[in-house]
Amino acid sequence: MGRWTTRFGLAVFVVLALGPIAWGVVTSLMPTKALTRSPPDLALSNLTLSNYVEVLTTRGNLVDALIDSAIVATLTASMSLALGSAAAYALARLRVPGANRILLAVLAIQMFPGIVIAIPLFLVYSQLRIVDTYPALAITYLSFTLPVVIWILKGFFEAIPPQLERAAAVDGASAFQTFRMVILPISLPALFAAGIFAFIEAWNEFFFAIILTRVQIKTVPMAIAEFSGQYQTLYGQMLAAAVLASIPVVVLAIVFRRFILQGFVEGAVKG
Amino acid sequence: MAPALLVLLGVLAYPIADALILSFSDVRFAAGGIQRDLIGTANYERLLADPTFALALRNSLYFTLVEVVAVTLLGLAVALLLNTPSGRKAIFPVILLIPWALAPVANAVLWKWIYNANHGILNAIGLQLGLIDQKVVWLGDPWMALNMILIADAWKAIPFISLLLLAGLQNIPSHLYRAARVDGASAWGRFRHVTLPGLRVPLLVAIVLQSIWALKVFDLIYVLTKGGPRDGSVVLNFLAWRVTFNFLDVGYGAAIANVLFVLMFVLAIGYVRVLDPERQRRRRAALPAADPAEVTA
Repeated sequence: MGRWTTRFGLAVFVVLALGPIAWGVVTSLMPTKALTRSPPDLALSNLTLSNYVEVLTTRGNLVDALIDSAIVATLTASMSLALGSAAAYALARLRVPGANRILLAVLAIQMFPGIVIAIPLFLVYSQLRIVDTYPALAITYLSFTLPVVIWILKGFFEAIPPQLERAAAVDGASAFQTFRMVILPISLPALFAAGIFAFIEAWNEFFFAIILTRVQIKTVPMAIAEFSGQYQTLYGQMLAAAVLASIPVVVLAIVFRRFILQGFVEGAVKG
Repeated sequence: MAPALLVLLGVLAYPIADALILSFSDVRFAAGGIQRDLIGTANYERLLADPTFALALRNSLYFTLVEVVAVTLLGLAVALLLNTPSGRKAIFPVILLIPWALAPVANAVLWKWIYNANHGILNAIGLQLGLIDQKVVWLGDPWMALNMILIADAWKAIPFISLLLLAGLQNIPSHLYRAARVDGASAWGRFRHVTLPGLRVPLLVAIVLQSIWALKVFDLIYVLTKGGPRDGSVVLNFLAWRVTFNFLDVGYGAAIANVLFVLMFVLAIGYVRVLDPERQRRRRAALPAADPAEVTA
């Protein structure tokens, strides 16, 4: 490919990739009056934070939603890490037969449509009267965060040289003590990456959220969807809500990009 | 390890089994409780005769097929672009991460605004460039609505596939390209005989994953069209949800969900077989160990 064709292609790519987002951000910073004029009044003097203020204070209850989402996502991430790290370690070290196949099967299962497990889970939760509670939602999310967390951590644990564990055993440590005091401290980067992943997935999740909650909990995706339905002519605010919802996860993704991109590399090589 | 397995069994295996039973039942909410009566295959027989189900099935298949083709081709194009000397700057993968990280609902809201008939930017651009003579109601026609949803979903899906394929491209040993050039292969020949074979696994993974995700589309439909207009954008996933939670016909909804489940199960099996660790090992063992170009040098 010629140099200039490539440069042109890259330019088109950047415009198409970031254009919609840039437009969304600009919209969120403009008063809706200016946006609905014909043609829209995009003068820089119109830039304002009023949409954000409105959405956070009077109209959207976005603050409550942000808190709810933070709780659910943190709960999901911590549970995923707690359960997943132990399982990953067992799969990596304690020679379970067919470990790879099991893991692959579990990864495959979690791709199934949420609707299949949502209905029975909803019925069970209804009978247990735990619909609309934080733990119920977090446990449901484990269905798709646990497999990936285990997958990430297992790969990491497998790469740790066994000498460390042997040294600990010589010093009289049990398997669990070794895990807690030797393995975990050096696994912080991988634990972070896996936890971030679980957090992002839980934060962005919409389907189970609308099914398994009633009045008590409203996560950010639910708030945005509701906003876009109820106040759909308040374009500026609608976009401000969407931007606010996205900032945490986009920031996380950019900060931890090295881990995420590394995950892609391994995905391409091993799947 | 046991706790994790227990959770997964509880949250995955049990519901899947129960969903099967539900689909053979008639479920009613009565007097603060749940009534379940087995009714055999009645729900499935209803499926076969239901025109909305047929429509949803058609829409799902169309949507999946077109999106997989589009995302794979465009993803490959982006990956190839990013694999060039100009494209190797660190900023480009980061640019891809932003659409990827967005919540699907946020993406839906964004495109709802872009597609807005009165003030949306798509109409504005179209009018400016002379591509349309008057404002189009993008989500007003059943067929067009489905395709606009497709575009919005594809836009968000391409980054992941590009990153996957880019990693695959970077994994192809460069001496293979050199050898091909020595043998006089053209750019297209190198692409056909070095690049594509080298991308076989990532491409298969991409195709299977994207198919599964295309079948799962929900947030976009919920925010943009709620299945309309006239059920034009109803897909299996959305239909199952609507039947269960809007019409409270739980047994029938479970039946629809199971059809979707079977479709995805077939795809998931494909995924597992492509990546089967045993098969990978056998493939790698069968590859020639030495580099032919170095032998003749």
